[in-house]
Amino acid sequence: MALVYELVWRLLHVLLHVHRTLATSVRALLRTWRGPAWRRALAALLTPAALAGFPGPGPGTGRRKLPPGEVEGERDRSRRRVRVEKLPLHVGLLVVEEPPSYTDVANLVVWCMAVGVSYVSVYDNHGVFRKNDTLLLEQIVRQQDRLGLDEPKYNVGFLSNGNTVHQDQIVPCQPVVKVLSPEDGKHSIVQAALHLCRTVEQKERTSKDIDVPMFDALLRESKNIPDPELVVKFGPVDSTLGFLPWHIRLTEIVSLPSHIDVSYEDLLGALQRYATCEQRQGK
Amino acid sequence: MSWIREGELNLIERLSANILKAGPVPKHVAFIMDGNRRFARKKHVDRQEGHSQGFNKLAETLRWCLQLDIPEVTVYAFSIENFNRSREEVDGLMELAKLKFLRLLDEREKLEKHGVCIRVLGDLTLLPLDLQQLIAKAVVATREHNRCFLNVCFAYTSRHEMANAVREMAWGVEQGLIKASDVSEALLSECLYSSNSPNPDLLIRTSGEVRLSDFLLWQTSHSCLVFQSVLWPEYSFWNLCDAVIQYQCNHASITVPQLHPNTTLTPLHMTTPPYTLLHNTTPRCDPVPKARELHQDEQRRQQLEADHACVAELLHHHGNGKPADAPRRQEAVTEYGVRREARVKDFLDALRNKRDSFLTELASQATVA
Repeated sequence: MALVYELVWRLLHVLLHVHRTLATSVRALLRTWRGPAWRRALAALLTPAALAGFPGPGPGTGRRKLPPGEVEGERDRSRRRVRVEKLPLHVGLLVVEEPPSYTDVANLVVWCMAVGVSYVSVYDNHGVFRKNDTLLLEQIVRQQDRLGLDEPKYNVGFLSNGNTVHQDQIVPCQPVVKVLSPEDGKHSIVQAALHLCRTVEQKERTSKDIDVPMFDALLRESKNIPDPELVVKFGPVDSTLGFLPWHIRLTEIVSLPSHIDVSYEDLLGALQRYATCEQRQGK
Repeated sequence: MSWIREGELNLIERLSANILKAGPVPKHVAFIMDGNRRFARKKHVDRQEGHSQGFNKLAETLRWCLQLDIPEVTVYAFSIENFNRSREEVDGLMELAKLKFLRLLDEREKLEKHGVCIRVLGDLTLLPLDLQQLIAKAVVATREHNRCFLNVCFAYTSRHEMANAVREMAWGVEQGLIKASDVSEALLSECLYSSNSPNPDLLIRTSGEVRLSDFLLWQTSHSCLVFQSVLWPEYSFWNLCDAVIQYQCNHASITVPQLHPNTTLTPLHMTTPPYTLLHNTTPRCDPVPKARELHQDEQRRQQLEADHACVAELLHHHGNGKPADAPRRQEAVTEYGVRREARVKDFLDALRNKRDSFLTELASQATVA
């Protein structure tokens, strides 16, 4: 009898896997069917309008700046604007599939910045982006160049390896990209705990001084970026795999199947999902 | 309504449970039971009734978990943030909690029969004293049971839990039980409210919200997260099966039992196409357990590095100026590790005693007929 159950279980998972593979293939097929010509056309129509208000070298300098939260929909050529009611200040891009595609991640970063997100963090649980952060930065700069964003004002503030933004800069003038790895998660929390225990050992404070606001402030000394309001997770793994455990207490976690050949529309969908959520904060 | 809902699964449910149990089943599931108030609005009943239905659903879900061989369940019953709700609602929830814990004490024999151990995780000092005493009595009464475990997070947030764990470690340093350099990820985990439980394998949130809301943030860093749109009071056995299947998709079977003496089937290759059913190929490791193992390996490496650093410092301060040779250094690191582990064990025993005494003292104050 146990054997029968096992066979049925295997059959069930085979069917699930086939379903998932078919869904991935159909998505890939739709993208290739639309073809590179379509993508170029969309890129040509879409990105300049989304970036309207960024003074670039391109034609049409009198374009109206898009108000915050207004982003360009990809659906039709008539440039119908899609209103996103609220934008996250900080978006985390969590890549849980291997190997990562730097071009696609760079696209995502640039699109986030283009729609007005002030902080974008990039994470994978092997620390690959952290080890190759210059490669990622090159790709981001390349994508920015492609879109004509070479004004110094819109240069990316690239932070890696514990650099900080000024504490009084809640919304920076330039978007900030942060490359994160598992070291920034539990390891950082442990380092902060170690520091506090050392001060207690040296009688500089007592254990009773330790509470949530104090610990939070200590963590922010090393990584002063706001908590991510939205994490977009790419890949088939349903886990955050160690991403900033302290910081994601109220983060909306939106999953997309893959970051490979991800489209602007996919990102827009995630932003809209965030915009429609209602945070009750316990009330 | 009772904490233990007696009853059996019907035939189809039993068959489905047996099929699911042929694969890996989570040993610990955490639930964010969201949607009671939306359910109440939908059914045009008052909020209190929604919360009451939510409790009934908890009892039913516990039974399903046991029938799926899931021995440990953690639920998010009341967040510290929920104190921000209206006075009326908070008082109502406190009264409901008192009723439920009184009921639990009435059902002590049933709990003993089923071997249910109840733990309450959170800052109990934030609750009304009579509720604290009832909770303490319930926890102490079921302390020795070990067949299945229900952890109720009450007056809880994950950040409070983590900050409290750091405070406990600092207390250990103040008391001279441990050194600051003994602080590690493993030690912090042992100081959390949930230290008696393994990390959840699966976290389920109902009502369609896709956030963790300050629940078990440390413990679920490598857990399978499943967000379901059903409202909690409407949760069904099939919703639970769906979540378990999603867990299994993230953690396909690694070992394969022999069907016939000369044939083996491979485990399912879950995430990367193409899938093929082959004979005699090597089992593949799956992403979530692999990530967890990687993380544990990294922890071990960091601990070893820390031990080396401490020993280097000690040798520098107490040595005779000559650098120690490698075997001497290695011996010193091993000895240091043994002494550190002994210190940590004594500290954790002291912490456990402190917590147990707090509960025992509260329980003895409780006046229950």
